This record gives sequence, structure tokens and C-alpha cells, in this order.
Amino acid sequence: MSETDFDVVVVGAGPAGSCAALSLAKAGHSVLLVERGPFAGSKNMYGGVVYPRILDALIPNWWEEAPIQRWVTRRQTMVMTPTQSLTIDYRSDTWAKPPYNGATAYRPDFDFWLAGKAEAAGAQLICSTTVTGLLRDGHGRTIGVRTDRPDGDITARLVIACDGVNSFLAKEAGLYRRDVDANSFTLGVKETIALPTDVINERFGVRGREGADIEIIGCTGDVNGGGFIYTNLDTIGVGVVLKLSKLGAQRQRPEEIIANLKAHPSVAPLVEGGEVKEYSAHLIPEAGYDMIPTLAGDGLLIAGDAAGLCLAAGIWLEGVNFALASGMYAGDAAADALRSDDTSAAGLAGYRQRLERTFVLKDHAKLRHIPHLVLGDRLQQEYPQMVANIVERMFRVDNPRPKPGIRRILTQERRHAGIRWRDLAKDTWTAMRGFG
Amino acid sequence: MNRWPEISFEDRMSTVHFDVHERAHITVDGDSCHGCTTKACVVACPANLFVPTSDGGIVFNYEQCFECGTCYMVCNVEGAITWTYPDGGHGVVFRRT
Amino acid sequence: MAATASSSGGHERLRTGARAVRAVIVTCQKWVALGAADADSAGHNAADQRFGGTSAADQAALEWALRLGAARSEAVTVIALGPDEASKALRDAAAAGADRLLRVDSSTSIDSVDVAAAITSALQSLGAADVSFIVCGDYSLDRGSGSVPAFLAAMLGMAMALGAVGIDLADGTDVEVLRRLDGGRRERLRLHDSGVISVEGSTATLRRASLSGVLASKAKQIEMHTPTRSIDHVARATTMSTYRPRARQLAPPVGGNPLARLHALTSATHRSTHGETVVLDPQMAARRIVEALTVWGYLDGESGPAADAPTR
Ligand SMILES: Cc1cc2nc3c(=O)[nH]c(=O)nc-3n(C[C@H](O)[C@H](O)[C@H](O)COP(=O)(O)OP(=O)(O)OC[C@H]3O[C@@H](n4cnc5c(N)ncnc54)[C@H](O)[C@@H]3O)c2cc1C
Ligand code: SF4
Ligand code: SF4
Repeated sequence: MSETDFDVVVVGAGPAGSCAALSLAKAGHSVLLVERGPFAGSKNMYGGVVYPRILDALIPNWWEEAPIQRWVTRRQTMVMTPTQSLTIDYRSDTWAKPPYNGATAYRPDFDFWLAGKAEAAGAQLICSTTVTGLLRDGHGRTIGVRTDRPDGDITARLVIACDGVNSFLAKEAGLYRRDVDANSFTLGVKETIALPTDVINERFGVRGREGADIEIIGCTGDVNGGGFIYTNLDTIGVGVVLKLSKLGAQRQRPEEIIANLKAHPSVAPLVEGGEVKEYSAHLIPEAGYDMIPTLAGDGLLIAGDAAGLCLAAGIWLEGVNFALASGMYAGDAAADALRSDDTSAAGLAGYRQRLERTFVLKDHAKLRHIPHLVLGDRLQQEYPQMVANIVERMFRVDNPRPKPGIRRILTQERRHAGIRWRDLAKDTWTAMRGFG
Repeated sequence: MNRWPEISFEDRMSTVHFDVHERAHITVDGDSCHGCTTKACVVACPANLFVPTSDGGIVFNYEQCFECGTCYMVCNVEGAITWTYPDGGHGVVFRRT
Repeated sequence: MAATASSSGGHERLRTGARAVRAVIVTCQKWVALGAADADSAGHNAADQRFGGTSAADQAALEWALRLGAARSEAVTVIALGPDEASKALRDAAAAGADRLLRVDSSTSIDSVDVAAAITSALQSLGAADVSFIVCGDYSLDRGSGSVPAFLAAMLGMAMALGAVGIDLADGTDVEVLRRLDGGRRERLRLHDSGVISVEGSTATLRRASLSGVLASKAKQIEMHTPTRSIDHVARATTMSTYRPRARQLAPPVGGNPLARLHALTSATHRSTHGETVVLDPQMAARRIVEALTVWGYLDGESGPAADAPTR
């Protein structure tokens, strides 16, 4: 085999790329990590909560040094209609102690820190450098990347593409499914809103470094999607995710949908008086298991959002942990393949096996139908109203009329919302099978 | 629902930092847009960069772009949008996201 | 006009500064932290190398230094002033082709005089006699007064051509600098073989570093210099405010009718008779300018000592 510049080139210093580079550097390989932003994390935004437990293996005691804002101890799921809301509120003290559960963090902090870890382990990080394509030999095998710098070609025995949701590299290599289109993605828009720390503590019922995380369904009007509110130390993140195929067709702009969410009677008291510090937007691969592309080619692996490995199933919005894990497993599989000197697609098969053995593909397979259910028209446009009405009638005191029986309320409200038994039963079954 | 926005769109965008490069990383072929009935980009672009003209075309400015990819995903007219990332080091820079 | 007087006088002076060994071109970069005001209560996002940088003018200066270095086959040394984060600016400069990196340790918020003194002492540690050209940006990212290059020239006894809007490298020995003057006029200065130049950001775009340049810059050594303090022989700005020329006193106009008096008062129908061309050495030229300004009523008699400023 001819000499290459590096053993591995990793494209994109997001969580997937930095983990891949970190695990390879630890295994003693020469790794180049290429990032197009001026620093790692500069191009990245998300809702606001990371679940970094998977880092235990790579960075023991990561919680002592990661740039965390708050530890999530309170999680709420809210179902809303324009005038009503129903909240399930869970809190746990154990989530405030090591090894913790979820944490809020800014991506320009978190990704920067993680890329620094990869660098410290021996990976070379170069920023402000956009990879514009793959270098391939006559047999279609990937042998490096082309960057937008002068004399910018870099050869490697293996390329790991962690270039995020738009992954032009995975598309160039023909790894994507042909049916992946606007239906498979949502647009996330977010406002970072400044509020004093004690005001946040008071409004969200948390103290010290504890934080709250609220996921919302039924807040996005005619555009299917969902909303979220996350607490940082002295800001909160308020945003919505919107199904692309609907967004284009409905005449409502993303920032108007956030504005409506902020004006909702259940949300307004939480956000009142805050100053918008930053507005941001990013796509999410949202179709789950059904959009996952071919994960390996000759001399090429893909991980994180580039591989569609983001779990966006209503009450879950997890992508960073899947990116961390898939990046790490890609690094491990790559190290194996380099050792046995076989970086063909077959030699890299260990990558998919690792994902299948772990939560990465197990969760995705299990929740396979959930994204379609959660973003489907019934759950988006009809169920929130029905559920809210049912609860309203359970709690409403209509004296002198006696309280109606619950079964009766259910039947009436289902009929009132125009939902057929058959659909309700089917959706319940899908939900049970997925979540159960 | 119609209400006054709490901040103007210009103020909203002024919270975002951009290191603009002289090369336009996205270009829109206005001619292709004349026949487009959806004009999906106009509603969907979170940075509101697609402005319809009275004759059915589109005026596009690349400077304040999030590089999100929404526009090329929602556009159904082949060749209307040419989309690349900005040159390394340029474009949007997030701070607290 | 006055400016013509100074430039023709200065031109002679600029041509005289020949020196024996020339090996180094220096460019100064001021690294400035941005976003410090955004620091949150956890200290995240505070001033660090992510949110900071150098001005377009400093980058243009680096580009000119690199071109000058190539034209004269001389090494290019980059001096950055600032805290540890300023190393980022130095590495970026190395990636673009700078040969030697020097960081002067300091907080970024010090007086221009001290900055210049710090750089001068750094240059002396390098061997100031070897320095041919010094190229600076005409303003830093935090928009100071832009006076560092002038102080540098004074302290090093070098010729200066400041606020360049264009540079012509000619043959690399002589450098022609196009300067902006008041009233849309331009001045062309020729620096022979040495001098301090400051450039506007629009004069050049810093070249994009090659991939191999970026990789090599990671291992490049950064030399450190801790400035020796105490500079007391120079004039120091005490207060800073915008300059408001005082009202000019004129004798009552003479004339038979209001229109004639108005003409006399404004000299609207006469061409200005101010301005002369003289050839003088710099000291005398400066005195002549002050004299003329005083006679024309732009300066009070007492502000004469300006001519004695330590320009040597
Ligand atoms: C609105 C929103 C809310 C979200 N909320 C959450 C949440 O609360 N919790 C959670 O866990 N996940 C959340 N996610 C998902 C999560 O952000 C992603 O799944 C995760 O960032 C994927 O990581 P990655 O490393 O695969 O890709 P990215 O984080 O996108 O990183 C890709 C990197 O590659 C770089 N890059 C791309 N192309 C090139 C190129 N050609 N050359 C060089 N560099 C390149 C990019 O600059 C970037 O740094 C959310 C996403 C969105 C949009
Ligand atoms: S860019 Fe595409 S979606 Fe937008 S108007 Fe043109 S053709 Fe239509
Ligand atoms: S990439 Fe996103 S922000 Fe940029 S023009 Fe397209 S839709 Fe707008």
C-alpha cells in the first residue's frame, strides 16, 4: 500500500467527528480532523440537552471538565392547543449527582471542548477548512479528501464523514437512499433568550446548577412539529422543530411560530421580559431508522447526523449522544480495519455490527415507526385537542350537573374530534410497540 | 393569529454573527423561479433571504445565511438553487446555541 | 499648501535612511478579544481564542509584509501583542508564510506609546539594525488611535509612510506608498530600503494559507518577549477629545456695500493665496508649517512647541 498523508481523515468536528478522532488518536493512529468553521462548534446549534454518558469510556470523569450549563433534574412533556395545555412533570434528585443524566450546554462550548480533547490525544485539528469532495481511485474507492485550501488534497487510508445533516460526502459516495427528501427532515429554529439566573431558577422551579427541559407537542399550528424550552445558567433556549414538507406548503414563517409559542398562556410567564441574544437555525434528520443510509463504503465510514442517526421522536430529541456513540464506534471499527489492513466496505463491517449491538441502532429499530406517528397529521392536529378536552372535562366542575364517567367523556371527545376508533387503536398500538 | 412581533426581523438577525465572504455560496437562478407555484423557499428560509419580485421572480441575498439547507430541500425546481458551503472560516458563527 | 511643504521636505528625509544589513521585515498584529461582554455567570464564552482576532488592516499589513519579503528575499517576522490567545494570530500568520513568530506578553489595553515601546524593545532583542521594513495595519480591531506606527518610527528613528491606500513594490528596494491627504488629494512617498508603513485594510487581502502551511504552523515555535517598562521621555496623551479648531479672528471687512463686504469677509471671489513650496530639512519644515498655520490664524501663538516633539 502506498504512503498516505494520514491514516484517517475525519470530516467535521461535531460530536461524531471529535469522538471518532479521539478514539483513533488514542489507538495511536495519525488522524486529521477537518472543520469548516473558524473553531469547532461555531456552525452547530441544537435544542440544548446532551446525554454524555457514552463518554465514560473515552473521557472518564467528563462531567468534571465538560462546559456544562445545568444538569437536567426536571423534565416535562407538554401537550397544548392554542388555549389549553397538559403537562407531565418528572423530577429526580439523582440526576443532579454524578454520573448525571442530561445536561444543558452551548454547542460552541461543548464541541470546542470535545475537539480539544481529540487534539490533546494527538489528532491534528484544522479549522476554517471546507472539504469540497472525496478523492477516489479508479475503482471508486475513497482515498482522501479535497479541501478548499491551496494545495488542499489530503490522502488517507480511510475517511470518516461526520459532516452533519447535509452530508454532501455521503451523497457524493452514493450512500443515501433515493427516497430521502424534504419529508425526512425538520427545520429547527431557536431563540437564546437572556434572563437573570435567579429569575430562571424561580420560574422553572430549580436551583443551583439544576435545570429544566420541556418538550412540547401541538404548539406549531398548521405545520407539523414540536417545541422545546431548555434552561441554561442565564439564558433559556426556546425553539420549534418544523416538518420541512409542511413548512413550504403552509404560509407561516418559522419565527412567527416561535412567537406564537412564546405568547401561549402556559409559556408566556416563563419567557416574559427576556431579551433575544441569538437566533439560530439548523436541519434535523428526523425520519429515524427508515432513512439510515448505507454506513460504509470502500475506504469510507459515515457517522452522526451524516448517517441519519438522530432520534427525534416527540418526547425524545437526541442526536448528540447518537453522534458521540456512532463516532466512537466508527473510530473503533476503523482502528480494527487499519490493523488488519482491510479498509474496504467488508473490512469495515464491524462498524454496523457495533451499532446494532448497542443503543444506537437498537433504539432506532425499536422506535422505527414513532417519528412518523409523532409527526403525523392525527397526532399533530387532532390528538392534542382531544386529550386536552378530555382532561378539561375531567377537572371541570359543572354543578349542578353530576360528573360524567370517564368512558363517556372518551367516547364523546373522540367522536367530537372526528377520530375513528380504528386509527386511534392503530396509533396506540404503534406507540405501545415503540415506547413499550 | 396576528400580533406585532416583539422584535423586528432585522433586530433578530442582528443577534447573529456572520463573517461574510465575497463569494456567494448560494445562488438562485431567478429565471427558474418564474414558473414556480409553491415559492416554498420564501416561507421556509429561517433567515428570510428569498424575496419574491412583482414579476414572479426571486431576489436572493446570501450574506446572512445559516447554511442550514432548508432552501434546497424544499425547492422542487431543478437547477433553481446552487448550494455550497461558504469558504472555510466564513459564514455564520454561533456563540450561545 | 502646508501639506505640500511638508511632503517635499519629508521626501528628502525619507530618502536618506540607508543602512547596512537588512534581513527582516516585521509586521505587527494586535490581537483583540471580542465577545468578552457576553461572558455568562459560568464564565463560558468569555474572551478566548474563539472570539477574537486581528483587524482587516493588520491582515493587509501581513500580506504586504509577505509580498515585500518575497520581493526582497528577506525573512518575515510577525510580532503580536496580547495575552496567550494572541498565539492564534501568530499561528495563522505562520500558516500564511511568516518565518518567525514573536509574542509580546501584555494586556491588550495599553497606551499606543507603551505598545510601540514594547515592540521596540522586542525588536531590539531581535537586533533592530537588521529590520528593513515594518508594516502595520492603520487600525486595530478595537479601533485605537492608529498612532502605534508613528511612535515606532520615532523610537526606531526610521522613516515613515502612514495610512497607505496603495503600495507599489517597484523593485523591492524602493517602496512607493500612496497616502490619503485632506480634500481628496493623494501623496506619493518613496521609501528607500527601509521604513515604517501602515496600511488600510482595503489595500490587500491576506492570502489563504495552504493546507501544508496550516499543518506546519501547528508545530512552529513562538518566541516570547516580556517588555521592559518605563517610557517617560515621550509626550503622553492625557485627555482625548475630538479636535475643534478655534474660531479665527478677522478684521472687520472693508467695502462700499454689503455684497462687497461679504466678498471681503469670505474671500469667495479670490483664489486662496495660501500655500508655498519650500525645500527644508524636517526640523525647519515643521517650524515653517507651524509658523504658517499661526499666521493664517489656525493656531494660537503658544502651541509652537509641537515642532519640538521627539521625532528626532
Ligand atoms: C433545533 C435542534 C435541536 C436539537 N436538540 C437536540 C437535543 O436537545 N439533544 C440532542 O442530543 N440532540 C439534539 N439535536 C440533534 C443534534 O444537534 C445532532 O444530532 C448532532 O449535532 C449531530 O452531531 P454530528 O457530529 O453528527 O453533526 P454536527 O453537529 O452537525 O457536526 C458536523 C460538523 O461538520 C462540519 N462540516 C460539515 N460539512 C463540512 C465540510 N464539508 N468540511 C468540513 N467540515 C464540515 C460542521 O461545521 C460541523 O461542525 C438537535 C438538533 C437541532 C437542529
Ligand atoms: S428557489 Fe425554488 S422554491 Fe424558491 S421560488 Fe425558486 S423555484 Fe420556487
Ligand atoms: S441555507 Fe437556510 S438560511 Fe441559508 S438561504 Fe437556505 S434556507 Fe435560508
